Amino acid sequence: MSAVPDAPASLANRPEGAAAELPEPPAGDFVVEAAAVTRRFGQQAALDGVSLRLQRGEIHALVGPNGAGKTTLLRVLTGLVSADGGSVRVLGLDPDRSPREVHRRLGVVGSGSRSFYLRISGFENLLFFARLHGLRWRAAAARVATVLEAVDLSDAARKPVAAYSTGMQRRLAIARALLPEPSLLLMDEATHDLDPHASARVRELVTNAAGAGAAVLWTTQRIEEIKGFARNVTLLDRGTVRFTGSVPRLLAHALHSQYLLRLSSARRPPTRLLNGETVVGTLAPHDADDEHYTLTLAGEATLGEALDALLAAGTRILSCAEARPSAEEAFLSLLRDRPA
Amino acid sequence: MSTVATPLRRRGGAFEEAAKFAAFVRRDALIAWSYRVAFVSDWGNLAFQAGLFYLIGRMVDPSNLPTYGGSRATYMEFVAVGIAVTAFMSLALDRVSSQLRQEQLTGTLEALLLTPTTATTIQLGSVAYDLLYIPVRTGLFLALVGFGFGLRFHASGIAPAALILVSFIPFVWGLGVLSAAATLTARRGTSAISYLITFMTIGSGAYFPLGVLPGWLEAVARVNPVTLAVGGMRRALLAGIGGGELLRALAPLVLASGCSVALGAAAFRFALRRERRRGTLGHY
Repeated sequence: MSAVPDAPASLANRPEGAAAELPEPPAGDFVVEAAAVTRRFGQQAALDGVSLRLQRGEIHALVGPNGAGKTTLLRVLTGLVSADGGSVRVLGLDPDRSPREVHRRLGVVGSGSRSFYLRISGFENLLFFARLHGLRWRAAAARVATVLEAVDLSDAARKPVAAYSTGMQRRLAIARALLPEPSLLLMDEATHDLDPHASARVRELVTNAAGAGAAVLWTTQRIEEIKGFARNVTLLDRGTVRFTGSVPRLLAHALHSQYLLRLSSARRPPTRLLNGETVVGTLAPHDADDEHYTLTLAGEATLGEALDALLAAGTRILSCAEARPSAEEAFLSLLRDRPA
Repeated sequence: MSTVATPLRRRGGAFEEAAKFAAFVRRDALIAWSYRVAFVSDWGNLAFQAGLFYLIGRMVDPSNLPTYGGSRATYMEFVAVGIAVTAFMSLALDRVSSQLRQEQLTGTLEALLLTPTTATTIQLGSVAYDLLYIPVRTGLFLALVGFGFGLRFHASGIAPAALILVSFIPFVWGLGVLSAAATLTARRGTSAISYLITFMTIGSGAYFPLGVLPGWLEAVARVNPVTLAVGGMRRALLAGIGGGELLRALAPLVLASGCSVALGAAAFRFALRRERRRGTLGHY
């Protein structure tokens, strides 16, 4: 895991009376430490020996296909679901035994679209939750105004939540998660039903929260969104960790076997590229212009062998570019290698 | 995001938990106010029920009714207290038992459980508004019916009647929590509790004197806490009881309320623990 940023002033300077009861892990400690966590639902293992560690200021993506165990892991970290085995420490505490202490510094944005009282305003919703976090009326109202401004919802604060769009409700959920100045933000599929603009806005808000020192665990199936956003990634599949490390390391798992070629249209190139009797690659039209093709290397063949075969067939190569490995390909590549 | 760094001021311990009830009351008052038509129709329904029993009362021979403080009550006087108490009970039970289910269905239960709030505060807070509003509604109903139909309620019995009603509230709350616990963990498995509540309401003497019941059933009905509440309030309002008689009316109710609360709280804690263990808290 990467270096831990210094705790920002906003987290360090807590008022008297609050500091004594709020767990504040010392710099360098892990905000989340889950080791060999198991959880079964009947015969089905939802989590099977899952380990995960998060530091302050870190955005950690938790990816995996449906049923991988992402949401179960999040619920174990919140204390809403008990683990069957292993150990879980959140802010240095066991969330199963000390849920209230953990919840004082925890912000959660769930995947469900409904988690507010639709008949009352966004402001009143947040005021209610701020009071449940123990803030006095005046402090709660000030805090609500602050977080609403942070998520650009000040203008809609007095409207009933029923009148909010999906994106606005998601931003309101983030505002609620920010109410306790969380040391840990758990985001469950926070952008799955948002348009690209709203998704980008949500990621920006979360990046800002991480910049303020919060550790963020971000579950998603939109693999591409973790590039340039998350620092580390854990890939869960059927309750087990298939990969954990930095996002560039995940991308390295993508197969660099495809290239985009621009060829001379004077002659039609062969679809199968041969080096003697051996097939070293296949060529497929990339576009309808008879000029661009996708080269897929066969087996252990090298790019040089494939290009030599093309040249030998009398084709002029105008350009050659590596098809950029995507996180999605890396994800699929890792899942392809999984045991049956 | 620097603006998000406002310092937080928190209270601590039991005082912090107690202060949260005001937040629950405010939330539910705002939600209730947003349903104005339902609010009006509730009062319309009560007025309709009172009118119906007034007409039925005209067919009832007063000699079949018990005497209070030496004078025989009219059927309307007799039944008005019964309507008030049973309406209080059914409404309060419905709210207490369905509120958490409602939170479960709207997805807000998990949001509540993710705040640093105890399960007891969430349970009690969720019905705090109803437990304040419904007794007020009951008192208002009795006052309006008293004036509207010229009923002879003793002014000196109002405070004892209110005391009896207040001591009856925990009993209803405990039953409601028991029902809520069953709903939380069994989703739709609350019919046994519903039957028990229906049986307790019918066998409470709210609408007819207990003397018309078969002997064995009358004996059971006499120890029914709902009977104790209805009977106590009738004696308070129609005979103006006080002192030792009031204490004798309150003692068994307080005992029943204590048992009901203990049973309900234990059942709710068990249901919550079971759901956490099973991982199905958010399911509905």
